[in-house]
Amino acid sequence: METSKKSASLHKANLKRAALPYYYLLPAFILMGVITFYPLIYQVIISFTDFQTKDLLKQLSSPELKYVGIQNYVEIVMGGLPVQNFEFFRILTYNLWWAVTNVMVHVPAGILIAVLLNTQGLWMKRLYRAIYILPIVIPPIVVATVWQNIFDEQYGAMNQLLSVIAGWFGSADPVHIRWLNEYTPPIPWLLPNGPLTLAYYAMMIANFWLGWPFMTMVATGALQSIPKDLYEAASIDGASGSQQFWNVTVPLIRPAMIPAAVYGFTLSFNLFNFVYFMSRGGPARSTEILVTFAYDLVRNLRLFGVAAAFSVIIFFVALIIFLITNRITHATESYSEA
Amino acid sequence: MASVTYKNVVKKFGDSTAVDNINFHVEDKEFLVLVGPSGCGKTTALRLLAGLEEITGGEIQIGDRVVNDVAPKDRDIAMVFQSYALYPHLSVYDNMAFGLKLKKTPKDEIKRRVSEAAEVLGITDLLQRKPRQLSGGQRQRVAVGRAIVREPKVFLFDEPLSNLDAKLRVQMRAEISKLHQRLQTTFIYVTHDQVEAMTMATRIAVINRGKLQQIDSPQNLYDHPNNLFVAGFIGSPAMNFFPAKLRKDGAKLVVDSGDFVVALPADAAKKYEKYEGREVVFGIRPENIHDVHFTPPNIHGETISVKVDVTELMGNEIFLYLVNGKNTFVARVDPRSKMRVGEQAQVMFDMDHVHIFDAQTEEALH
Repeated sequence: METSKKSASLHKANLKRAALPYYYLLPAFILMGVITFYPLIYQVIISFTDFQTKDLLKQLSSPELKYVGIQNYVEIVMGGLPVQNFEFFRILTYNLWWAVTNVMVHVPAGILIAVLLNTQGLWMKRLYRAIYILPIVIPPIVVATVWQNIFDEQYGAMNQLLSVIAGWFGSADPVHIRWLNEYTPPIPWLLPNGPLTLAYYAMMIANFWLGWPFMTMVATGALQSIPKDLYEAASIDGASGSQQFWNVTVPLIRPAMIPAAVYGFTLSFNLFNFVYFMSRGGPARSTEILVTFAYDLVRNLRLFGVAAAFSVIIFFVALIIFLITNRITHATESYSEA
Repeated sequence: MASVTYKNVVKKFGDSTAVDNINFHVEDKEFLVLVGPSGCGKTTALRLLAGLEEITGGEIQIGDRVVNDVAPKDRDIAMVFQSYALYPHLSVYDNMAFGLKLKKTPKDEIKRRVSEAAEVLGITDLLQRKPRQLSGGQRQRVAVGRAIVREPKVFLFDEPLSNLDAKLRVQMRAEISKLHQRLQTTFIYVTHDQVEAMTMATRIAVINRGKLQQIDSPQNLYDHPNNLFVAGFIGSPAMNFFPAKLRKDGAKLVVDSGDFVVALPADAAKKYEKYEGREVVFGIRPENIHDVHFTPPNIHGETISVKVDVTELMGNEIFLYLVNGKNTFVARVDPRSKMRVGEQAQVMFDMDHVHIFDAQTEEALH
């Protein structure tokens, strides 16, 4: 009797000890549950309903809420939403193109600038490094507003600059390019009339300003971790400056740059605040990306159920892209010694 | 195949002088070791030859050609780095082939040279591996292999063994010596380890504070050091030094350290007579101090009494740390010696193998 009592209390103590870690994790679980898992699950649920403004008061217990199965998903993908200028695959394609072209510009430019700033004996290196942090710390909405003004048709700095340049070539007319609103490009031979409007190019320029510093920062760190004697060995082996760049620098910063590029890709892919505040997806939804469209579904069309389904789709698109890039590029692989 | 000549070579980094007016000539096929303590300028001297640093003054010749303004790749040299400096993203084969590929050497030729070098170094099985999959010793071999395939006129080694463990270092030492015999090329090798220098070099250049102290064969350097620095640097345990005075005692010339007085044998006395009265540093190597019970025959011995401070049994010999007055010194005696710690004992200096340096100039007296 005595021993069984003893063993029972021992058992209890062990159980208590085993449970202890979970007590510590509990606050985090609760927090994650409230701000992440609950909305996530809630969103998936309403993506199968025709949730609209009238359901906002009673939410899921609203008597008028209808479960429509996968109808929202079908309508998004196949077309059939009461929305102008919306074709899912066109927006998806543009969104991918937008993300890819951004990364393709930011990464090489970032590396190039990092290499230049890494030049030995360069004056005021620290100052440059402080300056290129600026775009990272300024909120994208501010950046978008500033660039929106730069590309303004009447008063924007870009048109004024072009007017001055045109003046050198004898043209007295002020330039009036409607950067963010023109649907048909004014210079057909330079920018063919296709799916990409002037707004796309304007946004590429603006987002370049926003995007390169991060790549430069990563590349600078990677460059500084390359041992100097590798370059010395290469110079004895007969490698010229550019051969050293391609045979030593590029392969050795690759392990750092690829995750950065993947990150940059996902960032550009979902760059809501910048795109929304710069062009609002226009003109005629030509610069719309998936997230801005999802927002539009809620804000203007009040189609909560459709927007929820749309978000779920975006999530899977982003996940698939990430898995593919990760597989192709071996982003997690490195040359470092095991 | 080429000789190498340093003429009044100077290298300054800002205000500090790393290499201070160095002159020497390395014959074709020689194995020259540059040795000195860390920061003495030996590596800088080598890097000047490789073209990795710009010369401040003087000139360096490889063969008959002044190479001051020649790019590293055109100097016909190959270098093995302390860190090996292997390209981490390339396989062993590609590491070795890298320079040849840049020179647009035909593929068959590259293959032939790489497999030959791999054969010599015993790394044929590793050719497809990446550097991170290799041990330190294997990386070392690959670095040497990368140098071999270039078939250079001069091989440069910058402390190539310092990252290896002691056992491997001894083994690689022998292999590099073998390689030198096999390749019949000029080797210039930098190390701070005087054992490496002694075992591999045909000649050793001792450098200290950017200045060339002495350049000679290992044996000559050991037997006839030019100055106090060389005497103290070459040999392990290091030579014992005693501040002393040369004076006449009757007909004999003696070294008077204050605590002990030892007489020089007749021929040495004749040589040093002219320095009578001079403040000197008296030097004697540990192996020339014997236990009085185990002295070699026919030496001119001088006995002094000592107190035994520490004994280190090495098996084949015993290191004794001895005290005589204010002097402490090391003796390397016969393993049969019965001296024990704390004992008063007698040791014998072999006066045929002593070194006398000027106390002021630190130069050897002749």
